Amino acid sequence: MGTGHRPVATDSPQFENWLRRFDRALEKRMQDRPSGFGNPWLQLALSVACVLVSEFLLKRGATQVADIGSAWSWTGVNGLASPLVWWAILLIVASFISWLYVLRYIPITIAFPLSRVVDILVPLGCWIFLGELISPLRWCGIALVVIGLALVAKPIAQIEERL
Amino acid sequence: MTFLAFFFIVVSLVSFVAAQLILKRAMEATKSAGFRNAQFVWKVIGGVILMTISFFLTLGLLQRFDLSYLYPFQGLSVIFITLMAAVVLKEKLSVRLTIGTLLISAGIVLVSLS
Repeated sequence: MGTGHRPVATDSPQFENWLRRFDRALEKRMQDRPSGFGNPWLQLALSVACVLVSEFLLKRGATQVADIGSAWSWTGVNGLASPLVWWAILLIVASFISWLYVLRYIPITIAFPLSRVVDILVPLGCWIFLGELISPLRWCGIALVVIGLALVAKPIAQIEERL
Repeated sequence: MTFLAFFFIVVSLVSFVAAQLILKRAMEATKSAGFRNAQFVWKVIGGVILMTISFFLTLGLLQRFDLSYLYPFQGLSVIFITLMAAVVLKEKLSVRLTIGTLLISAGIVLVSLS
């Protein structure tokens, strides 16, 4: 059951047993997932891509129609006046449908942290496509997220290899 | 940041976390009972309502604050959802997952602070 690659060395048989049970539960969950377009990992990637584009559209749309003086603007409803916000909503609905599908097959403790890859894709997108500078502190943050994502994703990759 | 802004950030965060947990429950239920059952429909409706509340509050906040200012709070959602999924949904939480989740959250906060 591939527990030899665990990053945490332990002499406790109870703890090892618990880790093995975690692996087995995850493997069982993964066995009955569909392949092709129905692959939940592909759907997770699609969901992330939709969220990424919608974040840019929302920010631009919200600032286009900003009316800070109005008390109603706290509700965000006046943002609907921007067509960009409507495009963003369309993408959010698409990502939501993909996300529901992901939730059916992948534990949320794994799927949600992985979905936050979008938080580094936004600044990286600004750097690559808009030529914005990334400060050293921001690079550190991106590195932390990448290490965190690798830690969350590694057990999944090992299980996928075995299936 | 005013008390009102803090209040709306917290409400937005709580409704988002609650929505994710309810939707996960709804989709879990479809495995045994399929999609044509009242439990699934009500849970999805509840989840969508909570997500909508969170969405409009975020839109309202975006009109006042920079995206980078609001992002650390989104980073917190990773920790809250992982913790609540372990407590409420009884999902197993390994040491590796916990460390990974904490690193992702810390990274998101650093990215938005810079």
